[in-house]
Amino acid sequence: MADTSTPNATSGNWALEARGLGKHYRRGWALRDCSFRIPAGRICGLVGPNGAGKSTLLGLATRQVQPTTGDLRVFGVPVDDPAVLPQVAFLGQDKPLFKRFTVAETLRMGAELNPGWDAAAAERIVRAGNVPADARIGTLSGGQRTRVAFALAFGKRPDLLLLDEPMSDLDPLARDEMSTLLMAEAVERGTTVVMSSHMLTELEDMCDYLLVVSEGRIRMAGDADALVPAHTLVTGVSRDGSLPPELTGHIVVESRVQGRQFQAMVRPTGPLPADWERAEPSLEEVLLAHLRSPDAPPLYTQGARVDAEGTQAA
Amino acid sequence: MSTTTLTEKPGKPRKPGKPSELGSGRRLLRGLPWLVIRQHRIALACVLGLTVLTALWILYERHELVQLLDAKGWPEKDPGRPMDDDRGYEYITSIINGLPLILAVFVGAPLIAGDQESGTAQLVTTQSVTRRQWLIAKLGLAYTLALVSGLVVSALFTWWWKPHRSLFLSEWIDGVIFDNTGPVLPAFLLFLTAAGITIGALARRVLPAMVGAFLFTAVTSLFVWDEVRVRLGSPKMFTYPMDTELPARFNDAYEVDRWVGSADGTLYNWGRCAEATEKATDACIKEHGIVNDVIEYIGYNQMAGMQWLASGILLAGTALLTAFTLWWTSRRPL
Repeated sequence: MADTSTPNATSGNWALEARGLGKHYRRGWALRDCSFRIPAGRICGLVGPNGAGKSTLLGLATRQVQPTTGDLRVFGVPVDDPAVLPQVAFLGQDKPLFKRFTVAETLRMGAELNPGWDAAAAERIVRAGNVPADARIGTLSGGQRTRVAFALAFGKRPDLLLLDEPMSDLDPLARDEMSTLLMAEAVERGTTVVMSSHMLTELEDMCDYLLVVSEGRIRMAGDADALVPAHTLVTGVSRDGSLPPELTGHIVVESRVQGRQFQAMVRPTGPLPADWERAEPSLEEVLLAHLRSPDAPPLYTQGARVDAEGTQAA
Repeated sequence: MSTTTLTEKPGKPRKPGKPSELGSGRRLLRGLPWLVIRQHRIALACVLGLTVLTALWILYERHELVQLLDAKGWPEKDPGRPMDDDRGYEYITSIINGLPLILAVFVGAPLIAGDQESGTAQLVTTQSVTRRQWLIAKLGLAYTLALVSGLVVSALFTWWWKPHRSLFLSEWIDGVIFDNTGPVLPAFLLFLTAAGITIGALARRVLPAMVGAFLFTAVTSLFVWDEVRVRLGSPKMFTYPMDTELPARFNDAYEVDRWVGSADGTLYNWGRCAEATEKATDACIKEHGIVNDVIEYIGYNQMAGMQWLASGILLAGTALLTAFTLWWTSRRPL
């Protein structure tokens, strides 16, 4: 298992730390009994189908939503403490900005409302996109508006940047440009980034940490480098049209029987029979298998899990 | 890189990390007050402009009236009816009567609903300010606007009306005078602004909020408040012999009801002895022993007390609505 960033008890090293976190709406639980950790300095992908609870999780981290149960800490500080505010920046799905403000006024807003405002960084981001400072936000293109929203988020000099499907409404060129910008800024500052996305390729390229949510629960959490190798895609001969008994010893995420053959995504707990064909799945295959089978047991890599008492479990 | 994209002064290279003219600089307004004023500057300019216009107009009308009265030797001599057909007075009172509607519908209703609809509520509260700080700045702006507008207009209108009230066609108890003078107008504007804000916070969308605020303002100022106003005073009785004139000191009293009474103090309806013929009427009067006319009235001397009571009720309502809005918007997702 990768142990590159699994800091010890000092919780300041965890960008996000959730214990028994849950949110109940009138229609039911949007998020239930979530316990996980995200180490500082990582780019974390938040993956899950629509309605899985991704936006609720980001809403909880940005104080837009109040939890029903459990608690959430940002760099060790409870999220409802106003001291968290300057540390976290958020970029929502529709990137709301004041439409009648000019670009310059939008950046001034950032300066007025954030104590640690980095005007030079914000201006650099805007200028790099050739966005005119005196243009009103309402007249900008989608890509330019996203750039201004990014400038506002990075100008805040956050330690944790939360992004809710930031690229979903951008054309491929603008998406590429924004991804590059995001990675450059985040790496330069050591900013922890948590971004939800539907684009699995985008996640594969950018993220080194993953949080997979489905039906309001955590399915997987941990290093992207450790999550994928934990899985094996096996193909073998089926017994009378059903799965062979040798599989039961291993954790089966997803399985399929086709004629005389079976195929399964497993997390091996011991040696696999030699006559099975083995393949290392791609990240996309692992994610899809987990999203398709919400009943598969969740997987946490070392350090990603916290139990209710806060002690570390493997 | 293009140099025309940002308003940079040529020849003055900025040091990285230092605040530039884009980000800050020495400015009068800072932080949230700057933001809310910038965001609502059009509404602010419109309401303040209307206030100044009304104020200047009142000054002009009062000046004209004073000149006219001086020329005619008022109050020693009868000045005629200078306020009859006074177009200026009509226009000014229309504007003042419209102020509550403007503040409730165009300032109050969109104040929070607008930010909720466009998502900018989320934008602001994910900067380094708490939701409560932001709400207080927003409410502070709206209430300051209502208060300033109400105080200026009310002070000038009172100053125009009070010394010359016998010349004005409206009675002091009429809405146009009672609601627009003294402390009532500022309190009324505050209350309806708060109502508009609350409706907006509940509706979360601008158009339904504006419609709701419009209906609430219309119902309140046209129906409900008329009923409340006359109940603020404590009516008194005055008995005087039938067939004599009501003493002149009752000229500016508001007459709640009118009765006829017998010598022993029994009261009868004013129309008790309204018979078809004079003979029948006289017989009826004699039969019941009616000797007095009685009026139930609210004297002008009660006006100040009634106005402060009205303001107290409206301010208490404002406080309640404000507390509700703060509670409601802080417990729900924006």
